[in-house]
Amino acid sequence: MRLDALTRLVRLSLARERKGAFFSAFGVAMGVGALVFFVGLGLGVGTVIREKIFPTDARLVDVVPPAVSLGSLLGGGKLDAPTVERLRALPGVEAAYRKMNVRVPAVTRYDGVFFGSKLRMGMEVLALGVEPELVKGDVQLGEFKDAGEGQPIPALVSTRLLELYNKTFAPARKLPQLSANMLVGFGFPVEFNRSYVAAASASGATQSAQAQVVGASDRALLAGITIPLDAAVRLNRAFNMDAENYSGVTLIATDPSQVPAIVDAVKGMGLEIDDQERRMAENSGAAVALTTSALALLSILICVLAAVNIAHALSASVRARAKEIGVMQAVGASRADVRAIVLAEASVIGLAGGASGTAAALLLALGVNRLAASHLPNFPFKPDSFFSFPWPVVAGGVLLGLVAALAGAYFPSRRAAATDPARTLAG
Amino acid sequence: MIQARDVSKEYVDGDGTRVRVLDGMSLDVAEGEFVAVVGSSGSGKSTLLHLLGGLDVDYRGELAVGGVKLRGMGDKALARFRNAHVGFVFQSFHLIPNLSAVENVLLPSHFGAAPADARKRAEALLERVGLGAKKDRAPVRLSGGERQRVAIARALFNQPKLLLCDEPTGNLDAATGSGVISLFQELHKEGLTLLCVTHEERMSAAAGRVLRLKDGRLVEERAGSQVAAGGAP
Repeated sequence: MRLDALTRLVRLSLARERKGAFFSAFGVAMGVGALVFFVGLGLGVGTVIREKIFPTDARLVDVVPPAVSLGSLLGGGKLDAPTVERLRALPGVEAAYRKMNVRVPAVTRYDGVFFGSKLRMGMEVLALGVEPELVKGDVQLGEFKDAGEGQPIPALVSTRLLELYNKTFAPARKLPQLSANMLVGFGFPVEFNRSYVAAASASGATQSAQAQVVGASDRALLAGITIPLDAAVRLNRAFNMDAENYSGVTLIATDPSQVPAIVDAVKGMGLEIDDQERRMAENSGAAVALTTSALALLSILICVLAAVNIAHALSASVRARAKEIGVMQAVGASRADVRAIVLAEASVIGLAGGASGTAAALLLALGVNRLAASHLPNFPFKPDSFFSFPWPVVAGGVLLGLVAALAGAYFPSRRAAATDPARTLAG
Repeated sequence: MIQARDVSKEYVDGDGTRVRVLDGMSLDVAEGEFVAVVGSSGSGKSTLLHLLGGLDVDYRGELAVGGVKLRGMGDKALARFRNAHVGFVFQSFHLIPNLSAVENVLLPSHFGAAPADARKRAEALLERVGLGAKKDRAPVRLSGGERQRVAIARALFNQPKLLLCDEPTGNLDAATGSGVISLFQELHKEGLTLLCVTHEERMSAAAGRVLRLKDGRLVEERAGSQVAAGGAP
């Protein structure tokens, strides 16, 4: 049967059964729309968790010394320079970046104008030294290296800390909202070997320094400042603290698939993996995926019901059109032609339902985003969009409509093809 | 045109009883003949028509129409045969209600090789049956006789060798029925082979040969009088 003839017959048939076709397509649209909406929501929220709340790089492995081990008691399990070299030499490791905590407490006391507001504040500061290569993409001012005592220490702040400040602290204290760019160049005093909450842990006097923000980074310490490794080593030496063993090493795998083998090798060396953030990201992602799956299942159930509805509607239509089908057979329609006509009718219903359902989901998502932007409070990590609709989701929605309709049309099309023209046309 | 040899057809009715509707029927119809098939209800007339038209393939014996043996043909081949070689005219017209007259005539073109001038041909056929002015009307807006003429035009669309008619005047009044019979006579004169199942005396009178069936058997065969539908021979 030619396509133009098929198109014409289907169009005429659907025009006659307009009401039934509309309700069938509406059912498909409901199911597909719900599915696309919930999958888009799940993907969008998942993206926020993965990229904003727990930004993790699939190639990163954070190695830390064991908290308690026989090896550490006996002097083993340390992250010293030879151990770092061994880690660097592991198969699948592209790079190894050392980290060292500043092992004395530190505080900052700020009393001055803070971006147009008067600010008087003191707080404990945690400082972590990292190799410049680890954060080189995030440094916006000068070089990320220690210029020596008496010189400003370059400091990176966490992008997440900045988000938390902007969404909670700043509104509560009527302080200005800040961007990473605004902070670049901002200097603040830091007193090392001083604490508001504990006695200084190292002997000797405090040491004052000026920290200067050079950027914001996902890889920076969440509650503290991230400074060049050399500066951390220098400060630890100055206070006679351990400046030989590292607090952690970040390994970059050549490929995410190498990570499990690297993790096994690291554990074999008596070291531990700091995967707290990754686990939180995975757990949050799993919770979102589970919720999305449950809602998607419900949507698929609606699609199944739509398919059943199409099956009913087409069965009734085939019964009502038995004589018409018999006439078509008498003038030359084969069984395959009759089946093709019924399946083509269902395809049009399915595609129309799938396309309109998908379009409705996209519009609804747009509306939800707008409502969220205007009515929801500005909480931390609040995204511009709660949804993500990659093209496979959009195309899949339309395709699902087609599949549901064709599944519903399967038995009616067989029944139509089995019409006995001699019997239906008799009399 | 038609060769039927020892054709039998049985079916099982609702009580599970085997009913033989055609019983060893043999028949020859030459090309260009106008044959009327008469007989009481249940004598097997319509069944014979359906078998000859390839609408029913469940039978015993041998059937050939226009040199085409129907036994063993697949569904697609049978569909092509019906499309190209046979035209059907039914008592109840069986027009598709949401298609206009001309679209109904065009229906066979959807299932075969459509001629480039399909619409023109359909319109010419409607002109021929006297419905050129009503070609765009839906069947519901046509009289019974007009509907039957649309059905005849549809049956003629693919220029078949054989026209099979099942009580074509059964639902028409006398005057309208006469018009249809006249049309059949015209077609017969042009060389078309017609086989009409009928109860209508005027139809059998118009035919060149009359076959009478009884209980699935051919019990009488006589020459028709080829009387014109108006009454004159």
